[in-house]
Amino acid sequence: MGCFHSKVTRHEDPIELASQTAFTVSEVEALFELFKSISSSVIDDGLINKEEFQLALFMNKKKENIFANRAVLFRIKVQPLPTAFNIVFYGHHILAFKLALGIAIFDLFDAKKKGVIDFGDFVRALNIFHPNASQEDKTDFAFKLYDMDGTGFIERNEVKLMLIALLRESEMKLGDEIIEAILDKTFLDADINQDGRIDILEWQNLVARNPSLLKIMTLPYLRDITTAFPSFVFNSKVDEVAA
Amino acid sequence: MQRITIPEILQDEWFKKGYKPPVFEEKDDTNLDDVEAVFKDSEEHHVMEKRKEEEQQPTTMNAFELISMSKGLNLENLFDAEQGFKRETRFTSKCPANEIIHKIEAAAKPLGFDVHKKNYKMRLESSKAGRKGNLNVATEIFQMAPSLHMVELRKAKGDTLEFHKFYKNLSTCLEDVVWKTEEDMKEVK
Repeated sequence: MGCFHSKVTRHEDPIELASQTAFTVSEVEALFELFKSISSSVIDDGLINKEEFQLALFMNKKKENIFANRAVLFRIKVQPLPTAFNIVFYGHHILAFKLALGIAIFDLFDAKKKGVIDFGDFVRALNIFHPNASQEDKTDFAFKLYDMDGTGFIERNEVKLMLIALLRESEMKLGDEIIEAILDKTFLDADINQDGRIDILEWQNLVARNPSLLKIMTLPYLRDITTAFPSFVFNSKVDEVAA
Repeated sequence: MQRITIPEILQDEWFKKGYKPPVFEEKDDTNLDDVEAVFKDSEEHHVMEKRKEEEQQPTTMNAFELISMSKGLNLENLFDAEQGFKRETRFTSKCPANEIIHKIEAAAKPLGFDVHKKNYKMRLESSKAGRKGNLNVATEIFQMAPSLHMVELRKAKGDTLEFHKFYKNLSTCLEDVVWKTEEDMKEVK
């Protein structure tokens, strides 16, 4: 049986998950090792909650950044996590932006809207980042990510806030006129019906013309996952399946 | 008596007998369709394009391209990965685009690279064989603002470590061109 049934949660069968995704059974097992470490970091219940997800996403493992880690940890533990929408409007705070992003990504992983990510959700969401996943799925995920407040449209002010946050993160000071010029150019290109916002069709069109916009939606690393997270033979279901 | 060097071995008759150079599969996912498209038709349309070339400006960066550079959007951190050496890097510059191109070219040639240019894209090809074939680097310049450009260097072919070393050498020659490096840009406040 291995450890696929924890005390509290039953996890989906890796063979089943492999059949639904671009991952092999070994890769799903490797992902389970990762899932276990993330899901037990705050509460050991076999599920990833918002706090655990944020920690995994933003904790920098390098020693030099130990103070940055503490700051993130403090922020997450002491303050309640507001909704992505609220944080977007506190815009200038880089940490707030990162947390908002983290929540936006969390919500996308939490497909069943239970407020926690189970192993099946985890694998299916990461599947979209697999190099072999469809452009369509990647395009869709990216759209939902940028549409942070979930209105079904990517609004100009959402893009502006994300842009400002990125520029602050990179310590690049650009005047408001330049930021507006970049936005003008982007919306001129993307907003075909000129209603001041980008809908899913316009986004699909933009991505088709600029495939590099989906760069963030592929993690080539996923192809090497079994070397990074070897799962021990006695956990493996691979041998039980006829080759 | 001095020990023979690897380049000397590669040239030696003894070594060359029956030797088939290895073919290195490019497993990386770098999308270079746009760069390749530029270089593919350069031969056919060279004469016609020449006039157009002088008028063109570097591509203005799309807001989403900029946003996607955000560290927060990179899920690789979930994997606690020893990132190793990256396959691409970028820096910003306050110099005019043409000056950036000339400076990169001037810096790359003495390092043993052949330079192919078209508009604001370049291909730097190493004339020396490396660990995984000849290092091949694609460069592109984007305009962020009239006086601010972003230069992106991507490894198209070859060993990532060699790309990293190449970039280190190149950046010492480009000190007066570079405004902010990627390290500068990634510091969290």
